Amino acid sequence: MNFEAVIGLEIHVEQKTRSKMFSSAPDGFSREPNSEIAPLDMGYPGTLPVVNKQAVINAIRVANALHMTIDHMLYFDRKNYFYSDLPKGYQITQQNRPIGKNGYVAIETEEGLKRIGIERIHMEEDTCKQLHFLDYTLLDYNRAGVPLVEIVSLPEMHSGTEAMKYAEAIRNIVVYSGTSDGKMEEGSLRCDTNVSIRPIGQKEFGTKVEIKNINSFKNIEAAIDYEIQRQSKLLLSGEPVRQETRRFDETSGRTILMRVKSDAVDYKYFCEPNLTPIKLSDGFVDEAIKTCPELFEAKKERYLKGGLSSTDAEIILADPKMAAYFEEGGSQVVSLKDLANFLIVEINGYLNRSGKTIDEIGLKPSVLAEIVLLQEKGGLSHKQCADILAKVLENPSLSPSEAKEALHIVAQVSDTGAIMGFINQALEANPQSIVDFKAGKDRALGFLVGQVMKLSHGKVNPAEVSRLLLEELNKR
Amino acid sequence: MNFLDLPLMDLHKALVAKKITPLALVKEAIKRAKENKDNAFELINEEGAKAFATSLGEPEVDNPLWGVPYFSKDNFSTKGLETTASSNILAGYIPVFDATVIAKLKERKAVLLGKTTLDELAMGGTGTTGHKGKTYNPYDSKHEHMIGGSSCGSAAAVAASVVPFALGSDTGDSVRKPASYAGLVGMKPTWGRISRYGLFPFAPSLDHVGYFTRDVYGSAVLLDVLAGRDLHDSTSSTEPVEKYEADLEKPVKGLKVAVLKEIVDSITDCELRAHFDKSVEALKKQGVVVDYVSFDRQLLESCYATYIVISCAEATSNNANLDGIKFGPYRGGKTYQEVMYNARTQGFSELIKRRFVIGSYCLMRENQEELFLRAQRNRAKIVDEVNKILKDYDFIYVPAAPGPAPLFVSASDKLSDEYLIADNHLCLGNFAGLPSITLPLCYEKGLPIGVNFMGRAFEEKKLFQISAAFERLSGLAEASALAAKEAKL
Repeated sequence: MNFEAVIGLEIHVEQKTRSKMFSSAPDGFSREPNSEIAPLDMGYPGTLPVVNKQAVINAIRVANALHMTIDHMLYFDRKNYFYSDLPKGYQITQQNRPIGKNGYVAIETEEGLKRIGIERIHMEEDTCKQLHFLDYTLLDYNRAGVPLVEIVSLPEMHSGTEAMKYAEAIRNIVVYSGTSDGKMEEGSLRCDTNVSIRPIGQKEFGTKVEIKNINSFKNIEAAIDYEIQRQSKLLLSGEPVRQETRRFDETSGRTILMRVKSDAVDYKYFCEPNLTPIKLSDGFVDEAIKTCPELFEAKKERYLKGGLSSTDAEIILADPKMAAYFEEGGSQVVSLKDLANFLIVEINGYLNRSGKTIDEIGLKPSVLAEIVLLQEKGGLSHKQCADILAKVLENPSLSPSEAKEALHIVAQVSDTGAIMGFINQALEANPQSIVDFKAGKDRALGFLVGQVMKLSHGKVNPAEVSRLLLEELNKR
Repeated sequence: MNFLDLPLMDLHKALVAKKITPLALVKEAIKRAKENKDNAFELINEEGAKAFATSLGEPEVDNPLWGVPYFSKDNFSTKGLETTASSNILAGYIPVFDATVIAKLKERKAVLLGKTTLDELAMGGTGTTGHKGKTYNPYDSKHEHMIGGSSCGSAAAVAASVVPFALGSDTGDSVRKPASYAGLVGMKPTWGRISRYGLFPFAPSLDHVGYFTRDVYGSAVLLDVLAGRDLHDSTSSTEPVEKYEADLEKPVKGLKVAVLKEIVDSITDCELRAHFDKSVEALKKQGVVVDYVSFDRQLLESCYATYIVISCAEATSNNANLDGIKFGPYRGGKTYQEVMYNARTQGFSELIKRRFVIGSYCLMRENQEELFLRAQRNRAKIVDEVNKILKDYDFIYVPAAPGPAPLFVSASDKLSDEYLIADNHLCLGNFAGLPSITLPLCYEKGLPIGVNFMGRAFEEKKLFQISAAFERLSGLAEASALAAKEAKL
């Protein structure tokens, strides 16, 4: 029997606003535990929530990027439950009136672009972080109250790859709108996936299994693919799929049972009485959208127009800092493609070797652009420029021209007459090579090019030498 | 003469004239608080108050609160001062921040003497359910009659002239009912007029900061200080703060008052009825237009149930932070569930747990439509009815309670339908969030009885105007100080 998988994703994104969702405590992440807390974040009696305006602006931007209908009235609700990571005994969320409804995002599939429907996007606050030990648990309230947006897809994906691409598309939007770092590895983007399977052709959904604790985009695909296999095997052997929550174990590549779901918890939602509904003016919403930083897709389109391949554009866009660097330098060079080559090959290679990030290398985009211009207008080869770049990276106090001098690099001779002089010298000194070439030995050409390079002390363009040498040989 | 018996305006003059210093006043008030037998105090901040009074420097002529001592109900967050809301679950809790009203009073150099008792977590109307037991009514030295709640300690402290004013909170009638039983002016303004930041929440959609004074002038000048937008409370209003005492002397001729017929009719106390009727005639003599207006009886009868459903539902959620992990004494347990279960079971009294169970029940998925949401809709209906009347009238005027303070033996905090209307109508002001003030009307066998005026949203100034006129008619402004009362009777 052939099965079809039905997959829906709930993505929680931690916003990188300056302060928390409802309190003025800084939203900083990587500090000392319990160092970024306002009384509200610990649920002190008498504290009251105040909505973070930037968090609303971010949510509007993301909702707009996802083609959603934006609710101009902000409503908040309480979700009530008792748990040790929940400071107030309730979480403020948007149950009844999410800020955005009914949208979609397009992903590339083998059959072309496919739209994945999105049910809702809403704002809420994060809980505190628990560190479990053998006989005690530590609570870090730095995370408590950090603004989240939750994006809930429709169950419209059918493979692990689709789900991964969907999550990446969401990541691209939240990262480039300035909403979040969008890092699954660090938990700033968290993805709960719901997977069920059904015989192809069947309309009813199968029993849904939730997978949590997936820590990378690649693992979304791996976890779902495993889960589809697991459920298929169960059904084929006549066993039912249980409604349960599983986690993905990266080492074994399997999903592992966490708990069997009983009746869904009753969260006793009701409207948050400490936040009266807020009317968002059309002007406010429009401004939030208008001032949204350029998003991934728009940038990519621009890069493609600048001559980059799709792959190169995506490599640069994979890191928003790299993209910002690229754009700053891009305004000074002749061709974006030339700059991209340096970033993708030389700079990325350096980053990998040194373990640094682009903003740690101490090389301004304008300086890299200067080096690219040496190739584009200064008559130096890519190789020569790469040497200069290496020198500057190694010694940031040097300017590209100082590095060039230190390396004794001089511009290539591209004057045909001068090159022909070297070629004739080389041919006269190596008559046997001419014979060899005529006899069909290709190696002779390479040898002669090498001789020309030697005679010119590397100042001539080897491609040009090759071309002229071939012409000359054919004449003789 | 004791300066603590003076009305606020005269006390201020005495302070400005340096007839008495803030420190001497604080010492006198602390002496009275310690001698008081009404079980009204949770905490007396003797050293802190004395130090603050000493630090005040020169009198401020334009600041009627300069050097004036006061008490706060023990459900306002006071930095460094234990705050328990009269509940065992908060025993030992020392807040890290001041409530906005506490901070504002400090800025105006009023001297916080300490904290007063309340019904546990402000849930109750009898002044009997706090962890320290009953709070008594200073008007009854035999301690047979209650003072009402939940702001029982603050009412007792002002009625016994320990301080000229005290902070309270009002979710159903928790300031305005005890004010009636204690012969005081009890005020709660429009919802959002005073910041609630730092007030321990009972039911935020109904909670108001309120306060007791012995005269209308004191009530008005206090609002000048307490009112205003607060960035810590996003429900606080941006409506400009007025000079609320500006119109106290202004004639009331032409103001329109609606007396709610069903409420007056539900009162069986003949003496109260007679005094009330007389007050209506007196108002008319001043040129006030007074009409008896009908209010849907069924809606009035539904007030109490509506109040219980909404307030308990919100309360169960608001107090979920008191779980033995962050707040509340740790009572052991192997799992987080056990820790919470033990702390909450032992920390809350039976009455509180009843309210939480009612609240949870009303919010359950299968009951929410029939109970919580229905109560919300009914609240909206009630508010519509109130606002309809206030379209044509400046005020709604009614007796604040069915009679003088009841006996402890006859009272219970459990549901009863005795006086279903007469005892529970003050929550109209909480449902609609309208400004509402209780004023002393008369005495019955030595016990005070109050009336209540409710006005339109943010028309506090006008409410004080009619209140001041009423106060002149009743002649009880000074009588509301217990000492003065004894002289008069």
